[in-house]
Amino acid sequence: MTEQNNKKNMDLHSHKSSGTLPDEFDAAGKSLSEALRISFIILKIIMIVLVVAFLASGFKTVGPEEQALVLRFGKIQGVGEERLLGPGLHWIFPYPIDEIVKIPVETKVSLVVDSFWYHESANEKLSGQSRIRPTDPLKPLVDGYCLTRSEQRINPVLINEIQDENLYQAQAENNNRQQAQPDSDGSDYNIVHTKWQLVYQIDNPEQFYTNVLISDVRPGQTYLNVIKEGIAPLLKSMFEDAVVSVMVNYTIDEAISSRDRIPRDVRTYLQDKLEEIESGIKVVSVQLTQSVCPPQVKAAFEASTLASQNSSRAITEARTYAYNTVSKAAGPVAEQLFAALHDETVSEQAGELLWSQVAGSAQEQLSDARVYATKVEKDAEANADYLKSLLPEYRQRPELVVQKLYLDAIEQILANADEKFFIQTTEAAKDKEIRIQLNTDPLIKSEKIREQSTQENR
Amino acid sequence: MKNFAITIFILLIVATLGLYLISFQVRETECCMVTTFGKPTGQIIEPGWYFKWPFPIQQVHKFDSRMRVFTPEVEETRTAGGEPIIVNTYVVWKIAEPLKFFNSVKTVKNAEDELLRSRIRNTQNNVIGRHYFSEFVNSDPTKIKFEDIQRDMLTELKAAVADAEYGIEIETLGIKQLKVSEDVSKEVFERMRAERNQRAEAITAQGEAEKIKIETQANSISDELTAAAEARAKIIRGKGDAQAAKYYKMLEADPKLAAFLRDLEALQKMLEKRTTYVVPTDKEPFSLLKGMPDLKPAGTNDSE
Repeated sequence: MTEQNNKKNMDLHSHKSSGTLPDEFDAAGKSLSEALRISFIILKIIMIVLVVAFLASGFKTVGPEEQALVLRFGKIQGVGEERLLGPGLHWIFPYPIDEIVKIPVETKVSLVVDSFWYHESANEKLSGQSRIRPTDPLKPLVDGYCLTRSEQRINPVLINEIQDENLYQAQAENNNRQQAQPDSDGSDYNIVHTKWQLVYQIDNPEQFYTNVLISDVRPGQTYLNVIKEGIAPLLKSMFEDAVVSVMVNYTIDEAISSRDRIPRDVRTYLQDKLEEIESGIKVVSVQLTQSVCPPQVKAAFEASTLASQNSSRAITEARTYAYNTVSKAAGPVAEQLFAALHDETVSEQAGELLWSQVAGSAQEQLSDARVYATKVEKDAEANADYLKSLLPEYRQRPELVVQKLYLDAIEQILANADEKFFIQTTEAAKDKEIRIQLNTDPLIKSEKIREQSTQENR
Repeated sequence: MKNFAITIFILLIVATLGLYLISFQVRETECCMVTTFGKPTGQIIEPGWYFKWPFPIQQVHKFDSRMRVFTPEVEETRTAGGEPIIVNTYVVWKIAEPLKFFNSVKTVKNAEDELLRSRIRNTQNNVIGRHYFSEFVNSDPTKIKFEDIQRDMLTELKAAVADAEYGIEIETLGIKQLKVSEDVSKEVFERMRAERNQRAEAITAQGEAEKIKIETQANSISDELTAAAEARAKIIRGKGDAQAAKYYKMLEADPKLAAFLRDLEALQKMLEKRTTYVVPTDKEPFSLLKGMPDLKPAGTNDSE
């Protein structure tokens, strides 16, 4: 623009000098002055157009995802809220007085960080199989990883699981014992490989513009890409710092299983640090996309997981057994009843209520007892009634009554008997020994024995 | 009138050109140093519009004052306990005082190569050398001083850079990789494996113990409930017996007959099934088996 102005300047000077010529070359002068006048008008128009164009160049649009800062003589213009221009059309003084800096504040950019992953060759990445042997070391220059702290306790996972159950809460004692175990030297650590994804956006355009190094936009580049490239080294370094700092506070099991707590901590750490250096960058989200134990020790980890599964299955089975056993003993109210038995404060009424709901073998016992009680009572009653009814007759004819009763009884007994032997008590038979072979089970009768014995009897 | 407008226009243009020669802008992202006849004479850190003598009297050198990240090479160092540890530190720095910066290192590359690299290495060795490995990572989270270590490094590096008066300011630093040497990594794997195996055994043993405990407990609950039920059953039976006892009084009308009846009943019950009955024929009524009875009608007594 400055060059154009220069050129115009020179033109103007030449016209001025030509305007002071004398009048004698009338016709020629007239036509010349006419030409001059026209060109002068044209020039004026050009000038006006240029001025208008110059002023119009102050119109700037700010995109819907952007906010803009205005620099007047290099300094950010405005106070407070006015420092930021929202989306829309704005007029500022044209260059070189004012300058506009657009910052894409709404755009969320994601950054993948896999510098904590073990080295994989291109082939391995493609095939998805790594050829790491258990004896391979990690090379500090090519393999990435995080250090995590060691467990304080041997097995917190299982303990937590058991503690959740209020039924059998005997684990607490065990737990204490394990906690009391001294650490070998306290500096045990584990190695874990992780992959992360970070999403950020520019939160404070002013801080961002003044503090974060972004190279100038060269032809063929978009501003957003330039920003991404500019932020990446800073943000990645700080993010890695956050990951390293946070991970040492977690155990490997937490690192592998917790996809929630660790990213939250990393995010907080990173955000604090970004604010500390006034970068104007906001962390939108942090995701732990992958987290695995080193392939070298995978087998041992899997075995451990399997043991854990087996163990919890055994416990589940035991619980099922326990439930069945207890239910069989007293039905669904068994637990309550058991608690009530050992609790002095439970009122008798409540206890009775529980007993009335009891099922299973306890209920069987109780109902048997009830049957017995009723039977005994009824029997006694029946006997008493019988005696009462018999008594008048007996008093009159005691012998006959006794005989009748006796014979009735004998008759019934004999009728029921499977085998009957009658032994003749003659004088002749007096010294004879009688032998009867009895079957262990009289139901299995042998004709032969019967014959023999009848012969003998005779 | 025409000429007037044109004159204004021209003046404006001339003024603009003139201003370009004698003034300059410093943006928010920059700071600059002014040299007079090639000699550094001043620095400007605040953004804005400034005047100067035209070239060649005064010249302006601008520097980008925004934050830069510098990451030196990965280095192995030793902790207080002598364990090797590999850390990779990054430093965020910026040019704070252009004059000093220009006098000492002149360019960003020089600053990083000559100043920052060695200072970072020193700081790293010093600070890490003061701490034990167990302060970097520890099974007891309260003993981990990782953040303190980084803070110490920052303080020390800031002080070192400030003392050197290179016009550089350290914004922050951090450890972005914390690693161990190859040999140590092997040991770690061994330990991890041993730990896992030990844990697997512990889990198995614990599960087994837990299982037995649950089962035993269930059995004892079951037994106890059965015992309690039995006790209650006994009470119920006792009540029944007591109820029955009421009727025993009625039997007192003729105890002998009552006893006889009871015996009969008992006998009947006992010999109800699977009985082999052996009886001599001289007992009533089997005496009939011996022969006819000698019966004659007699008084009122009847016999069947």
